[in-house]
Amino acid sequence: MRKAVGIGGLRRKEAERQALSKKGTELAKREIDKLQEQIGLMKTNLEEFVREHQRDIRNNPVFRVQVQRMCQLIGVDPLASRKGYMAELLGVGDFYCELGIQIIDICVATRFMNGGLIDLEELRQRLIRRRLKGSEPVVEDDIKRAISQLAPLKGGYRIVDFGGRKIVQSVAREMNADTSMVLGLAQQTCKFTIEDVRIGLGWDEHRIRACVDDMLRSGIIWVDHQGAVMSEYWVPAFFSQISGASLSNKIIF
Amino acid sequence: MTSVSETVTTFEFPEIHNFPPFFTRQPNEDTWKVQRQLWCDLILAFYKHNRLSLMPLAEAATESPFSNRQIHRSLQVDTLREIIEELVRQGHAVWTGPKNAKDTCMVYWRKPEVWANIIHMWACEHSLCNTVLTLYELANGDDTVKQEFHGLDLSTLRRSLEILQSQGKAQMFAGTSDDDMGIKFFS
Repeated sequence: MRKAVGIGGLRRKEAERQALSKKGTELAKREIDKLQEQIGLMKTNLEEFVREHQRDIRNNPVFRVQVQRMCQLIGVDPLASRKGYMAELLGVGDFYCELGIQIIDICVATRFMNGGLIDLEELRQRLIRRRLKGSEPVVEDDIKRAISQLAPLKGGYRIVDFGGRKIVQSVAREMNADTSMVLGLAQQTCKFTIEDVRIGLGWDEHRIRACVDDMLRSGIIWVDHQGAVMSEYWVPAFFSQISGASLSNKIIF
Repeated sequence: MTSVSETVTTFEFPEIHNFPPFFTRQPNEDTWKVQRQLWCDLILAFYKHNRLSLMPLAEAATESPFSNRQIHRSLQVDTLREIIEELVRQGHAVWTGPKNAKDTCMVYWRKPEVWANIIHMWACEHSLCNTVLTLYELANGDDTVKQEFHGLDLSTLRRSLEILQSQGKAQMFAGTSDDDMGIKFFS
């Protein structure tokens, strides 16, 4: 190709560039239009789907979780904004808001005797018991979602794992490593003795005492002097679930 | 299930009644306050359910609800005394017997002030004002069978009527015995 020089050449080059960029914009626009059309279609379909299955979504927790997952996969968060059309359609905004309030209620009401630690399953049972008959069943996933929504309130609500037992913590207190380790040790028997900790974690007396005193002070353990040999320390958060199974018909404070 | 054979319906114990440390006085002051209040609530509910009022502490400590045989735990008398002190502070109990002994109390699962109102309302509704009734008639007579205060212990009844008297809503008359005591209600 002959090298374009002079004014004419420059003009031609400019025209070429413009034509190309015009074509590029055109192509990009067509792509975007197509994408928007597809998104719009998906949105419509999703809306339709949700509208059609609204009752199932509210009443069937398994299905609700599945829809939530699907929304997440395609980047639609039904809870992202309170005014979000999905939240409105699903009615889930209300659902989780309501659930969150009930969770706070239960945590606050039981805090004085468990130091702000409650077993996730225990919490779920209490939620089911206090919710109106015929209202939507609550699954673990719902509680997790509702708790994640409580984050902006800065109430310290979070789910902590102790060797497989999920505990909802409702006090904005940093749990130190020693406390967590002792709780991990006691998670199955729901109680422990100084000796248990010495054997289980290999700590010296001083460290164990300091940890136990700290736990007593924050109310997450209670002492029992009428046990087998020595003082036994009980974790109410672990205990209530065990008793909950056999005493589910009992009234609770 | 713990059976309370002498009552028709079983008293439903709160879940914490099966929690062994509930029977040991908690060293942490905040936890203890909570524990003490839970015991207060339980005592009032239990005494109301079984319509009890007199509590000899040492004896009571060995029985339900202060002893839970299922889990082999009992409240110590000293701890029970501390709990009763709180009930007294709240006006839900009074120490009886020798002063300062603090080994027997009357539990008011309903405060005498409230009983006083209930009894006075009943008298007014049944046009019994200005009529003299005996305390026995009030607590055990046929006319009061359906009333909540039917079978109320004499001591609580007297305390309630004294309140009415101090309010000018009744006048008591001494009889040969406590049962013989008369009461006249004013509207």
